[in-house]
Amino acid sequence: MTKEEIISKLTTLVKPYVQNEEGFKNMNEDTDFINDLEINSANLVDIILDVEDEFKVEIDNDSMEKMLSVKATVLVIQEKMNA
Amino acid sequence: MHSIGNDIVDLNLAKVESNWQRKGFLEKQFTKTEQEEIHTSEDPFFKVWLFWSMKEAAYKCYTQSVKKRFFAPKQFECSLLSWNQGVVVFKEIKFYTSSSFDVLYLHTIASEAQKEIKLFSSVLATEELNRAVKERLAALTGIAAEEIEKRKTEVGAPLFYHKKKRLTKACSLSHHGIYGAYLFCLQN
Repeated sequence: MTKEEIISKLTTLVKPYVQNEEGFKNMNEDTDFINDLEINSANLVDIILDVEDEFKVEIDNDSMEKMLSVKATVLVIQEKMNA
Repeated sequence: MHSIGNDIVDLNLAKVESNWQRKGFLEKQFTKTEQEEIHTSEDPFFKVWLFWSMKEAAYKCYTQSVKKRFFAPKQFECSLLSWNQGVVVFKEIKFYTSSSFDVLYLHTIASEAQKEIKLFSSVLATEELNRAVKERLAALTGIAAEEIEKRKTEVGAPLFYHKKKRLTKACSLSHHGIYGAYLFCLQN
């Protein structure tokens, strides 16, 4: 799966939790879930669980710790899918 | 800098925004002991959010002095000392918490120091948050509220100033749903 494909799937998956539509419209690799999309920190775990379901991967605690931005999340997904 | 943190949960919003019974939800964020306490609680929903707000308040406290962001709620281990007082341990650092709540919201404040420092805190409507802090500071210092200005530290923590004079030694602001909450201590 290419980076673009991962980002595209990720965009669909974070949509229900987004509170800043402007930030969502401009969502790209540098987007931060909390600062740019204003996703509630309590919903970060939902994103992680959705990523696990969507990409059929298992996210351990160390990886989860980094998943605050699109870039970091894509890296974790790629790493887990290639494992 | 003295570190403090606070977290507000709009309980009505938490009900619709998150499903704590979702598979994996508790396992990812809560320790085995916390999960047991949640499951055996008379009100598991409330316990989930009580622990969550303790973890968030402690995380905010920690990141006031450490320039680092991460998502590791499970590493913030909660234990309750009484119905509203608790301790959160993260990497051997202890954060002391105190929570207040009613049926609509849950508010937790965390402080790294055990010794008594005078903390000022309140829960109000989210849009009134900044004004309320300025008014409280005005009442405490005698400076006009309009002359008080909010700035941010290098790590993004809010501080309040009057011209060049810093008024708050530490400050933490929290929003969720219709609620806002503040916590600050005064610069001597």
